[in-house]
Amino acid sequence: MAVTFIGVRHHSPACARLVARTIDELQPAYVLIEGPADLNPRLDELLLGHELPVAVFTSYRDEERRHASWAPLCDYSPEWVALTRGRAVDAQVRFIDLPAWHPAFAGVGNRYADAELRYAEVLERLCREFGVDNVDVLWDHLVEIAPADDLAERLVTYFDLVRGETAADEGDSAREAYMAQWVAAAAQAGGDEPVVVVTGGFHRPALVAALARAGSGGDEPQDPGPSAGSSSPPWPDIPALPTHAHGGSYLVPYSFRRLDAFDGYQSGMPSPAYYQALWEYGPHGAARHLSEAVTTRLRERKQTVSTADLIAARTTAEALAMVRGHTHPARTDVLDGLASALVNEALDVPLPWTSRSPLGSGNHPVVVEMIAALSGSRVGRLHPDTPAPALVHDLEAELERENLAGSANHELDLTREHDARRSRLLHRVRLLGIPGFHRERGPSTGLDPQLHEHWQVRVHPDRLAAAIEAGAYGATLTDAAAAALTERAVTAGSDVDKLARVLFDAALAGLSTVLDDALQEVDRAVGRVPELAPLGQLLAVVLTMWRHDRVFGTAHTTALSTVIAAAVRRILWLVEGVHGGPQPADRGRIGALVACRDALRHAGTTLKLDREDALRIVGRVAANSAVPPDLRGASFGFEWSFAAVGDPERVVRGAFQPATAGDWLAGLFALAREEVLHTEAVLTLLDERITGMDAHEFLVALPALRQAFEFFPPRERAQLAERLLARRGHHGDARALLRGVNDPERVAVGMALDQRVDARLRREGLIVQEVRP
Amino acid sequence: MEAVEVTAPAEQVQRPRAEVRYEQELARLKADDQAARPPGWALSVQAARRFIVGDQKLDVSRKFVGDPSLIERALVTLATSRGLMLVGEPGTAKSLLSELLAAAVSGDSTLTIQGGAATTEDQIRYSWNYALLVSEGPSQRSLVPAPLLRGMAEGRTVRFEEITRCPLEVQDCLLSPLSDRVLAIPELTGPGSMVFARDGFNIIATANTRDRGVNDMSSALKRRFNFETVFPIADLGTELALVEEEATKLLQRSGVTAAPNRGVTEVLVTAFRELRSGQTARGDAMERLSAVMSTAEAVSVAHAVGLRGWFLRGEPGTAEDLVACLAGTAAKDSPEDLAKLRRYLSQQVTWRSGDHWKALHSARHQLPG
Repeated sequence: MAVTFIGVRHHSPACARLVARTIDELQPAYVLIEGPADLNPRLDELLLGHELPVAVFTSYRDEERRHASWAPLCDYSPEWVALTRGRAVDAQVRFIDLPAWHPAFAGVGNRYADAELRYAEVLERLCREFGVDNVDVLWDHLVEIAPADDLAERLVTYFDLVRGETAADEGDSAREAYMAQWVAAAAQAGGDEPVVVVTGGFHRPALVAALARAGSGGDEPQDPGPSAGSSSPPWPDIPALPTHAHGGSYLVPYSFRRLDAFDGYQSGMPSPAYYQALWEYGPHGAARHLSEAVTTRLRERKQTVSTADLIAARTTAEALAMVRGHTHPARTDVLDGLASALVNEALDVPLPWTSRSPLGSGNHPVVVEMIAALSGSRVGRLHPDTPAPALVHDLEAELERENLAGSANHELDLTREHDARRSRLLHRVRLLGIPGFHRERGPSTGLDPQLHEHWQVRVHPDRLAAAIEAGAYGATLTDAAAAALTERAVTAGSDVDKLARVLFDAALAGLSTVLDDALQEVDRAVGRVPELAPLGQLLAVVLTMWRHDRVFGTAHTTALSTVIAAAVRRILWLVEGVHGGPQPADRGRIGALVACRDALRHAGTTLKLDREDALRIVGRVAANSAVPPDLRGASFGFEWSFAAVGDPERVVRGAFQPATAGDWLAGLFALAREEVLHTEAVLTLLDERITGMDAHEFLVALPALRQAFEFFPPRERAQLAERLLARRGHHGDARALLRGVNDPERVAVGMALDQRVDARLRREGLIVQEVRP
Repeated sequence: MEAVEVTAPAEQVQRPRAEVRYEQELARLKADDQAARPPGWALSVQAARRFIVGDQKLDVSRKFVGDPSLIERALVTLATSRGLMLVGEPGTAKSLLSELLAAAVSGDSTLTIQGGAATTEDQIRYSWNYALLVSEGPSQRSLVPAPLLRGMAEGRTVRFEEITRCPLEVQDCLLSPLSDRVLAIPELTGPGSMVFARDGFNIIATANTRDRGVNDMSSALKRRFNFETVFPIADLGTELALVEEEATKLLQRSGVTAAPNRGVTEVLVTAFRELRSGQTARGDAMERLSAVMSTAEAVSVAHAVGLRGWFLRGEPGTAEDLVACLAGTAAKDSPEDLAKLRRYLSQQVTWRSGDHWKALHSARHQLPG
């Protein structure tokens, strides 16, 4: 038997070249590749003629776990080269690894991640020994840029060293044992014919050892007779999907950007566009290509890249290559050179290629463009004949049925059953993250009386890929959307803001089944919320759903009741903790008190919320001068709206200070608009006080006052204006008065001008009396 | 009046310069150096790199903790026609790195200009011996060269510390030495009036990102430098080891025989890292301190903690000492920082296990104010 093992790093052009050379030389009978064995009957699907990169997407779902994983393939993947070259020399090509849904892959999102990264210690030692920043630099140094002469031996040495005595974890051991079965079977079947095995370098030592053990083991007297090659070999069984589980593997179009976005243990080789260039043009061409791409991108974005800079960058790159012992500048040599020449200020975060982390925030714009140029924008495309999962068909059918598939704008009236159904459908599609479905307008919090939605549907190039991947959530649109929503609720954890959106999305998509699970989380999270605003938003949403069963089908359910009670408790607790004196009015925290009041008013009796206790708390807040004015005003409004105030006029008189009046009133109006409107004495008092402000005070208070009075709808503002006119003995059209303040800035500028003119006239002795009343 | 003895024997010098401290290592590297040297350099680029990142074979210690690629870029820059600008937060060992680079490249780290608000061109380029100037007129004899002139004439590395502390017009006197590699002395006539830089001359400047905006560099000067940002140490283990090692050294010099307590040092380094980055180990976001929480500061706190424990009670420093010392270093005179520190000690310490964290929590009342 002649088994040649090639241990590769996934997505390594140098390894891909080695694979191609080996297969061409040996003309093997069998080519075994690390890849999902359940795809063996469907290998032709891979070879339909796609534009790479594409990926095999596998999903799995049962009661306990849900798993999705990708096996991305690009032009320079050793696995892809093995597949195509193997076919070209008429070898039998087989994928020999466990299916991606197998428990051995639990937690693995990228089949072609670097397995050795999980065993970091030895790699760190190697990097220190070679004096390089990280594994990628080491790899370029040892493999990609180094001469190809003795690459095979170098790879063996490298991976033997990396694997060393390390025992693989349970998942890797299971996979290696399974792959070893295939190798043994092929070795037997191949007889004297060569067999080529292409796997991750980390697994190679284990497979070599396993084959040696099998060869010298008990079944020694095997006769590789002349018939052995032709008879059907005892190939290992391909594990079948458990009966209670849903899942499957499909091809999806992939992109360089996604290939580059894997993180941590899931990551493989970075910078696909660079390695594509390395595959196509070799090291020298790739370096040139890289600097060109970076320069073009920067110049497109109007960044200065002078010829002097480019000369400096080139010189530095060449010098670095020399210092580091490279015959051609490697990836990081070019990048370091460009960074030295082009970045002339302090960086906020380290250069991303010195550590193996994905691009975070705070990077220098030039560095961001450099990384984008390395990453590339290539997007794969599937051949039209490629099969697709059930969800894709269900989605297409549903969209066709409701006539929503094509690019169009839709105006939906949620009170009509037909439109409501279409809306729910569109929301479910949106929840699955399928691009091209955008709601421009519509109810956004459950609080606004908005009952129309405006949707913009576009046929997006990624619709198919997204739909195939969303197929992991379920076979039908309803199941899939519900599963996606549950997942969001679980991952939202204690983020109440996110949970509120989950709840509302559930209502919009008509998926109330998901609510019960999600709400347990909300209840626990509420007790830990540090801020009023998001909590207020949550309470408002939940309360609306609790009350308006007709639209959402979420009548007085106990789960919602628990949340309401918890939120009311927490809001009252937090309100009392806000201190810090005068601050501008904050609509968010005022909103929290509004929601809390509404909850007490509409659900108080049913849910046995303690109104007296609440009133005692807001009473304390309203009287505390360390509390910001908006909250004091709101607390007072809270009391007043429950008619728990003896003499409102007296309180208003006491609280009205010109500097903070606007903010205080904003709080008051938000909670007790009606009461203010119907208390003549308070209106009169406010009129007096505002008229009594001097010009400067008024200018300072104006923005806040405007904000405060915006709580009144136009009709009520007109009423107010009428009364003001009446108080002054006029009976004109009050609406004209409102239109007059259309441009308050201009009015304010005019007033300031008047005042300056007055001041100057007085100074020059041209007038002696105050002009203003 | 007795004359002041100004030359101290080498062993009594508080901090010998790098080329003296590492004389042996430099000699070994030089003897072993096979690679080609850039013109005017004392070592090849590879040997200079090994001097800084360390080399076990030649028993050369690792002197700078950070990415090796940073050192390579810095050395390559020094071999080109651009100056090297090291920028970063205070306390990230920029000055140490600049000293090591100068020692490796030129074998001499003493041509140093300390930037400051009062730095003048005289201190950078040259000045005159006024007695001679008056009696003889301008001449080579009456000329007093400052580091820049000497570096250019002798082909050596000039260090310019805290360049952004200098006024803009003073910084700009570097323009022609950096681009044309020439310095004019208009007072002299003849060949001495132009000093052309010899091979081996270059400038290493350091600047503090906290000073950003104080005296921003002109873009003309920026173009003549390659910028390298030096970052705080990324890895807890590395920083901890460094702080422990340096603090032990300092304590020994101060006559303290007790080594710093490892648990206390770990608490200290962790707290410093969290206050610096504004994020706790479990991921809570919090406010950063505005004070500098650098590794160098951590070392000095560890030193102070050790001194306190030893001279007050005769034992290694404890978490209580740490709290007492933190107020002085971390909060300095900023009441906001003190408040942030108090909030950190009362809320972000309780959830951790370990006796030292518990002791830290219970000692939080020792913060002044």
